[in-house]
Amino acid sequence: MTALLDAGRPDTTGDGKTAAPRSRRRGTIRDRFPGLALPALIWYAVFMIGPVVAMFVIAFMSWPGMLTTPTPAGLDNFARVFADETFWTATANSAIQIVVGLPIMIGLAFLLAFYVVQKPRGHRVLRYLLFIPALISAPATAMVFYAMLNPDGLVNGFLRPLGLEGNEWLADPTTALGAIIAVELWSGIGYSAVLIASRLDGVETEIVQAARLDGANDWRLAWRMYWPIARDFIGVVAMLQFLSMLFNSAQTVLLLTQGGPENATTTLAYLIYRKAFVETDLGYSQAVGVVLFVIGLLGMWAIRRTLRATH
Amino acid sequence: MAQRAAVARRLPLRDRIGSITSGTLAWIYAALLVIPFYYFIVSSFKTNEEIFESPLALPTTFDFSNFTTAIQQADLGLAVANSALTTVAALVLTLVLALPASFALARARGKAGKIVESVFALGFLIPSFAALFPTFLLAAALGLFHTRTFVIFLLPATALPLSIVILTSFMRTIPRELEEAASMDGASSLQVLRQVYLPICVPGIATVLLLNFLSFWNAYLYPLILIGPDTAQRTIQVALPTLKVDAGTDYGVLMAGTLFTLLPVYLVYTVLQRQMQRALLSGAVKG
Repeated sequence: MTALLDAGRPDTTGDGKTAAPRSRRRGTIRDRFPGLALPALIWYAVFMIGPVVAMFVIAFMSWPGMLTTPTPAGLDNFARVFADETFWTATANSAIQIVVGLPIMIGLAFLLAFYVVQKPRGHRVLRYLLFIPALISAPATAMVFYAMLNPDGLVNGFLRPLGLEGNEWLADPTTALGAIIAVELWSGIGYSAVLIASRLDGVETEIVQAARLDGANDWRLAWRMYWPIARDFIGVVAMLQFLSMLFNSAQTVLLLTQGGPENATTTLAYLIYRKAFVETDLGYSQAVGVVLFVIGLLGMWAIRRTLRATH
Repeated sequence: MAQRAAVARRLPLRDRIGSITSGTLAWIYAALLVIPFYYFIVSSFKTNEEIFESPLALPTTFDFSNFTTAIQQADLGLAVANSALTTVAALVLTLVLALPASFALARARGKAGKIVESVFALGFLIPSFAALFPTFLLAAALGLFHTRTFVIFLLPATALPLSIVILTSFMRTIPRELEEAASMDGASSLQVLRQVYLPICVPGIATVLLLNFLSFWNAYLYPLILIGPDTAQRTIQVALPTLKVDAGTDYGVLMAGTLFTLLPVYLVYTVLQRQMQRALLSGAVKG
């Protein structure tokens, strides 16, 4: 995963230092073991790694309520999860969210980045604006969209004068998931665009000018030159947004629809939350957590394969 | 700019379509960013009826009563104080843990250093959210359930991987000779860290602080679950959604409350715009 960050900064000399020849003082234990890292490591182990390990343990326990004593359950939780229709609805919702949302987000972010990098009139304003959603918390974003999407809100206020019938966007099972995806796109595209633009800024202007004189139009320039050059970095941004969609969507769902109507917006991440804190079916919840963990790894691997460097 | 326009003029119209589409897209997108903003700012000065009837009209009077109602109704003043306390304490704790660790990892020569470094780097992969329930159990086990204190302990752990990766790569750029000269003069490790590394690392530290400020201030699920409903302890992000009521939300009040939660972030953003953009870019993560 350091590769992930290194790919993002092609110009930093990550390991520029060469091991200095050491004649004196070589290889004492103090030198080899980074002792000052110990407090951070312990802290990290207790508060982050510990709970994740516990998640794997609880997934194999029967724990039907906070106050009951857990008992070993083997694979029972997984059997229950896989036999549960709600789980499959949630899986389908998460799949739609990612298969539809992620390509749109990355595609549009790339085009925006391409546009900003050409330094057209107003590109500074655009760069400033693109950052706005990255600053706003999930609750604030959700509350603004809650106001806009309500039956008397801004969106319907726009549609009505056009003679279109408004909708209860968040309460209608056919549009609720779309609304959640729209909120995520709103908060993710600009930020991804700024990240990708930081990479495209490094593309040599001479090559671009030459291609332009050879008659390449912007569309060709974007997809045939800039995309391949930035491909591996776009993969990094895609992975970050993938993880954020997969896991953080739980907050947006919780704030806007609580999984409803009729499970239409229950994603896997939200299902973990609901089973743990609403229905207190803890074994089930953590079994879904394990499933999500595996999906996360598989997805990262798939994105890496699709968008790995071509050169 | 002028050069580019000249090139564009030489191309036939058909070839400029790409530029026109991406330009149109870009400005439509900008509008999609600005309109919600405009809407919610003007709404925070209006009543429900005004919002419903003419959503985009400017408010007739700049009446701050929605703000006072929001602040009273959700106890936002106290919530801001809680958020500030939690954020500042967690930021300090993050630096206290991450600085020595990064220093040690940047100087480590053996295998152990590499292993520890990759343990932290792997942290990007950990979906800590899925482990929310075990974290909740940990809070209970430590006797810190439903307290800000536990969140202050937890947030630095979530920020350590990124902070350490950034600070370590920063400290690697410092020539070893500097440090060796200092230790020849009899400086201890911690003195070297304080007197040689810290002054040089100020930009790296600023990056880490800004990045973590955003994610700590904006944190929602952890504070919601771990601090719970207690109005005396809850943070601003947890308090805000309580303005939304199932039946009959006062949208003016809700939007005023939302604006109120954004003010500190905007203050920081306008003052430190450049630094903050740089921080977000090198962070490459979103809360």
